[in-house]
Amino acid sequence: MLSRVAENLYWMTRYLERAENTARLINATTHVLLDLPRGASFGWDVLIKVAGQDALFSEFYTEHDETSVMRFLISDERNPSSIVSCMRCARQNSRTLRDVLPRVAWERINSLYLLVNGHAAGAVERTLRYSLLDQLIERRQSVIGLLSDCMSHDVAFQFIKLGRYLERADMTTRIVDINAAVLVPRQQSAEDPAIALLWMGVLESLNAYQMYRRHASVHVHGAEVVGYLLRDMHFPRTVSYCLAELEECLAQLPHHAPPLKMLRIAERRLQGMYIGELTPVARHEYLDAVQSDLAKFHDEIAAEYFHLHRERQGPAIPAGTG
Amino acid sequence: MNLDQYPVAGAYDELVGSDRKPRPAATALFDYLARLSPAELNERRAAVDAAIMTMGITFTIYSDGANIDRAWPFDIIPRIMARDEWRLVETGLKQRLSALNLFINDLYNGQAIVKDGIFPSELLGSSRNFRPQCVGQTPPFGVWAHICGTDLVRDRDGTIYVLEDNLRVPSGVSYMLENRMLMKRLFPELFKVCDILPVDDYTTRLHDTLAALSPRQNERPVIAVLTPGIYNSAYFEHSYLAQQMGAELVEGSDLVVGPDECVYMKNIEGLRRVDVIYRRVDDDFLDPEVFRPDSALGVPGLMRAWRRGNVGIANAPGAGVADDKVVYTYVPKIIRYYLDQDPILPNVPSYLCMNADEREFVLANLDKLVVKPANESGGYGMMIGPRASAEERERCRQQVCADPRNYMAQPTLMLSTAPTLVGNDLAPRHLDLRPFVLQSEHLFVTMGGLTRVALREGSLVVNSSQGGGSKDTWIVEARG
Repeated sequence: MLSRVAENLYWMTRYLERAENTARLINATTHVLLDLPRGASFGWDVLIKVAGQDALFSEFYTEHDETSVMRFLISDERNPSSIVSCMRCARQNSRTLRDVLPRVAWERINSLYLLVNGHAAGAVERTLRYSLLDQLIERRQSVIGLLSDCMSHDVAFQFIKLGRYLERADMTTRIVDINAAVLVPRQQSAEDPAIALLWMGVLESLNAYQMYRRHASVHVHGAEVVGYLLRDMHFPRTVSYCLAELEECLAQLPHHAPPLKMLRIAERRLQGMYIGELTPVARHEYLDAVQSDLAKFHDEIAAEYFHLHRERQGPAIPAGTG
Repeated sequence: MNLDQYPVAGAYDELVGSDRKPRPAATALFDYLARLSPAELNERRAAVDAAIMTMGITFTIYSDGANIDRAWPFDIIPRIMARDEWRLVETGLKQRLSALNLFINDLYNGQAIVKDGIFPSELLGSSRNFRPQCVGQTPPFGVWAHICGTDLVRDRDGTIYVLEDNLRVPSGVSYMLENRMLMKRLFPELFKVCDILPVDDYTTRLHDTLAALSPRQNERPVIAVLTPGIYNSAYFEHSYLAQQMGAELVEGSDLVVGPDECVYMKNIEGLRRVDVIYRRVDDDFLDPEVFRPDSALGVPGLMRAWRRGNVGIANAPGAGVADDKVVYTYVPKIIRYYLDQDPILPNVPSYLCMNADEREFVLANLDKLVVKPANESGGYGMMIGPRASAEERERCRQQVCADPRNYMAQPTLMLSTAPTLVGNDLAPRHLDLRPFVLQSEHLFVTMGGLTRVALREGSLVVNSSQGGGSKDTWIVEARG
């Protein structure tokens, strides 16, 4: 398959995943917020920090209020990771992929984009927001279901999975880190009920609350939640699960040694730390390191599979191709 | 259904006879429409508009330097022709493309038609689309134009004329297929009451036409559709055809020509040989080594690979020589010369401005004629005499005098009409028809084609870039 096509597939799914994760994050946060006691220090700016977008946000906004943060994350086209921007890029990418994807995939992504683009401005308000974001999540899942069920699980499909699981792993580390953003400034006690609520919100945003209670613990403790979301091998949004999926994808791709090496480094870091002992600051630094491993993994993928089409000249013809 | 606006003075209507009654092929449709309330009809139309947005059937237009994606304007009332009449058109189209391919191959090999005094050599000398780089080549089956979009129009007496032969990169076939898809989705019950012949086999036929050009006939050919990219007005079609054929959609930068003079795609596992390229890029941009050196859309070395027979290219470079409004006027002679047959489909009478007496006539009758530049497509540069202002006619006169070879003129045809949904009523709108003809090992004509309709009242310009829309085209078997 063409390098350009591989790269477009990869980015299409990354953007779709990012849009969905942002929607999950916003919905879960809104819910948690409704339950927080008056005076609890939770600010909407946490969402900006989780997305790693502080600098860009402060270029355009002065207030960190709900309206500004929601506009920035949902409908602001100046933010390349806003839901509207992600859907636009996903649509643009899938448009160049119509020869590779099942026909209906383009239609679903296109109509999802039209839905989001048509309603994003209104979704800054809470009432419309929940229903739009919920539809976004549901319909993105239908796209993934379609691709899984109606497309050959060939090399092209591996790039779809690479994009999805890499983006998901990255987002999970960021969502887990949400508490660092809240806790670090206040040094509250881990027993604070507001904190437990926040951890529940984290689990909810990943649809993991129910599975966590079934498989990990009935009680929501910070260290246990972090351990579960990073290292559980069975829940499909944990970082370990995503890394295992990435490894499976690589096994089906040619020339996979360099990215595989980087992936193993990330896996070792993930397994090697005892999370229970980490202070919130150390945990934040640790998660930063995991994110940086994932970024390097992306660089290896790009160097190995996408670079061919960037070179205008093209390499010499190896013997025996054809 | 209200047909108050019928009959239209001086125009033939495809669906409605001069007695204001539906033609035989259209009676089932009118019976059906009569049972729909205006509200139901509008519901269907809204559903069609929504489906067009969802399916992403768009075309791109350039406006103020920006690219805008426009939804495809579609009218839900189909254009209908009887199978018997279509059979004749089909035969005529095959005859025409066979002759044109013999003509192109002759021009690049020996030029017998010039030596025999049928086709003037000075025309060849001044042709912008004659490519000296192609002289001496004979592509597989001697065929140069593998995909042809022929524009047909019907005049007031019902005669069908060929208006032009598009042999370079004709577009529109995807819209023909999508129009049918829309109609099936939204009016499934109509397909029960009418015997509508299917159009869906086009992409299979296109695939087979291309596969026959592969230099490696004992292997499954690797076929690529070469697009200028996402900002091209026909990008939707390029991706659509690649998808439907299971071909690769490539841009120039995805391809490279190796030292072995074969063409390769840049794949994730390395390079993979390409056997056939369906190019949707003009000759000028195909290979910067040979044509425009500043082109970033093409592939350096592509012409070397093609000349060596290492890759099939459709349409072949240089095929555009026969897609020229001046060459067009010679097509009846070309058919007689190569096939020894009378043309089945007539040309529109044409006046060549390069001939002094014909030019005199054109200049004296600018208010009655349509004047067209030889090499433009998409309706650009056309002057419709009866509708032009005095200044426009004067500008046209100067252009013709400055470059007579580049202009030809035709009488203003009264294009036929068909009922089109305007508000809750059916109003006559002018239209043409573009069937697509394929030729490599075999000849094939689409069942019908793309009907383009001028949506503005009285307008004769059907091009989508200039306010045209389209209709589904039905070839129906008469019920006996």
